[in-house]
Amino acid sequence: MVSQQERDIIRAEIRSRGEKLSAQDRENLIRPYLPDPSDLPQSRSRASTANSSSSHSRRQKNQKTRRTPIRTFVKSQIHHLTYALTHIIFGIIVRLLQAYHAVVERVFAIVYHHHRTPELIRKDVRGLKRLPQHLSILLTLRTEDDALAVLMDEVAELVAWSACAGISQLSIYEKTGALKSCIPALHQIITTKLASYYGSPSQQPNLQLFAPHHPIFGAHSNPRSEVPPLTLLLLSATDGRETMVDLTKTLAEMSQNGKLSPEDITPELVDAEISEITSQPLQPETESDRAPINIIKPEPDLLLIFGPYLKLDGYPPWQIRLTEMYCTGDRSHGMTGYGEAVEYQGFMRGLWHYAGAQMRFGR
Amino acid sequence: MAGSMHLSRLRKWFLASPPIELAINNLKELLVGALRQGPIPQHVAFVMDGNRRFARSHGIETVEGHNLGFEALARILEVCYKSGVKVVTIYAFSIENFKRSKFEVDALMDMAKVKLSQMAQHGDLLDRYGAKVRVLGRLDLLKPDVLAAVNRAVDLTSRNGDRVLNICFPYTSRDEITGAIRETVEDYSTPLSSNGAARTPFSESHIAHNIRAQTLGSKPQDLHSDSESSSAGSSAHDDDSVLRGERPHRVYESGSSFSSSTTLHHLQQDGQHKNGNHGNAPTDEKSAFMSPETISRQTLSDHMLTKGTPPLDMLVRTSAVERLSDFMLWQCHENTEIVFLDVLWPEFDLWHFLPVLLGWQRRISKSRQNPDAEGNFAGDSPESSEEDIDSSALRQGKLKAI
Repeated sequence: MVSQQERDIIRAEIRSRGEKLSAQDRENLIRPYLPDPSDLPQSRSRASTANSSSSHSRRQKNQKTRRTPIRTFVKSQIHHLTYALTHIIFGIIVRLLQAYHAVVERVFAIVYHHHRTPELIRKDVRGLKRLPQHLSILLTLRTEDDALAVLMDEVAELVAWSACAGISQLSIYEKTGALKSCIPALHQIITTKLASYYGSPSQQPNLQLFAPHHPIFGAHSNPRSEVPPLTLLLLSATDGRETMVDLTKTLAEMSQNGKLSPEDITPELVDAEISEITSQPLQPETESDRAPINIIKPEPDLLLIFGPYLKLDGYPPWQIRLTEMYCTGDRSHGMTGYGEAVEYQGFMRGLWHYAGAQMRFGR
Repeated sequence: MAGSMHLSRLRKWFLASPPIELAINNLKELLVGALRQGPIPQHVAFVMDGNRRFARSHGIETVEGHNLGFEALARILEVCYKSGVKVVTIYAFSIENFKRSKFEVDALMDMAKVKLSQMAQHGDLLDRYGAKVRVLGRLDLLKPDVLAAVNRAVDLTSRNGDRVLNICFPYTSRDEITGAIRETVEDYSTPLSSNGAARTPFSESHIAHNIRAQTLGSKPQDLHSDSESSSAGSSAHDDDSVLRGERPHRVYESGSSFSSSTTLHHLQQDGQHKNGNHGNAPTDEKSAFMSPETISRQTLSDHMLTKGTPPLDMLVRTSAVERLSDFMLWQCHENTEIVFLDVLWPEFDLWHFLPVLLGWQRRISKSRQNPDAEGNFAGDSPESSEEDIDSSALRQGKLKAI
């Protein structure tokens, strides 16, 4: 909190690359902004008082306590009051914004409704400059009894919207990994959902479903499909740090057995290993089952977070280096409470936002 | 156009006039003091993005933009430390940035050198008030003169108080994670035998004999329970070493198949590790290592460059670029709140940061009142009495608001 005049002095000093002022000048310049040394609970000052005579130190202490009790009390009370006041005002603003966004959201929901028609969805994304090649979505499992069913239905809707929008690589992150345990059932639900969007099976996209360390499911369920195929990857928290730990364990063991020297561990090696498990599923054991599988791009282009504010919640860290992130509830720094529900207009807003973003590598 | 320029100049003059300036400064002090009363994130990270764009849009030199960015940094550091943030981490320079024009890289390096050496001139002042400065990143990529300035500043502030400023200098997160993995592997590849020279009350062959006997008999549950991660069922992976030879790139296909060694060997390591824990490492064993199964997430976290700092509570990136750009990937992917602001870094001030902090306080206070609610995550925990006052004040506030 510097005055304009001093700011000008400092700027001139910076321009001359720090040669204009001496160290003493600079200290004089900043001295008024430093706190009073006696305010600081410093071990050094305490030590120095301990060294002096005990009566002297007691007198000093008395002086100190006598000097500011009322002032500090008043000050802290003012701060408490300001804290309460700011939060009241902030709370009102947040509620107003919430109400406003809720209305806007409803209007959007009516104006942009997909009506389960692929043509309408395609029309919504037609004007966009770019679409993510690999879209990733973060969902949370709720706490109700039928949470898993709700989650699977949400996944099915998202798959259908992505397929209609022309996104062929989709990954869904859910922290607990509940989805991974019911891949066949999920495949069934998604197929039913796709049928309700596309109609007859020949017009449905071919769906491939897999998770790291799991074999691919539905590799060639519908060979006569005319629509481009869609690959869905299921991720959970164990694909994040846990996978890194597993890789480290393996590397440590190889190093212990003399198969690898620690200098061989480069970002490229780690990247190759980590990318592989999320980009290609395990091949089926028998040769006859082998089908052409489209490999997923390891780094997602866009991460959509259906939640009130942007929290990654254990999403695999290695892959999101350059991923754009969009939180459906994030238009007011995530302080409002809406945006948890998986809705079509939230999905669309994320895609639009992505198309308007300016991509620059290396910052 | 001309009108708006006059207006902005008038506004500037108005804001710079002494009484207004004093009032604004007092208001800021008051707000920062008020922020202190609530929960405050312990560790905040900033990506200082937008200096170049600010310079371009205001028609000044890129280097000037960076200088203004430094002023903004000083401003925001003051806010952070005064309101009680313990650790601030800033992304000053990415390894990728070396690809920029040589002129700009040199100017940035020069700026860093000047700032750091200026800091070194104020040794006693820093001692009294300063935060600890730490530089994270690939220091080996720096020029020798910059490196010397870095080392001097870090040395000088290493004994300072509990506030920390982490400067990520030539840094990328992937590089950091790789480094952590490499260091962990190095740690685990160092034979244990070097440390316990004289004390070997237990004979190693005797232990091996015992283990063999136990394996032949019942399954030795107690040995397994000692190791941290579950290695149960490792006997089923006897043939893993064979598989591994055929498909070396599928080593972790079944989650727990890292035991390329046979069961017995694995158990032997476990047993020795257990021994080592009791301070009785065998001496004459050449290939005695810590078991890789004891590597955990914490092990890796302890090898990150940010080791010893509280978990990252908040990450702020300015200039509306909504990517992490290889910053703090490991640290921010769990409970960190990530905030992207549509403001260029040189313009960043308390006014932009305040809503973010208030929102954070609001959420933390709410999740404390209702711990089961969604979005609950552990922030800092100050003294409970203070917290009670805060939450009751907040509750009153909300009642009034309703």
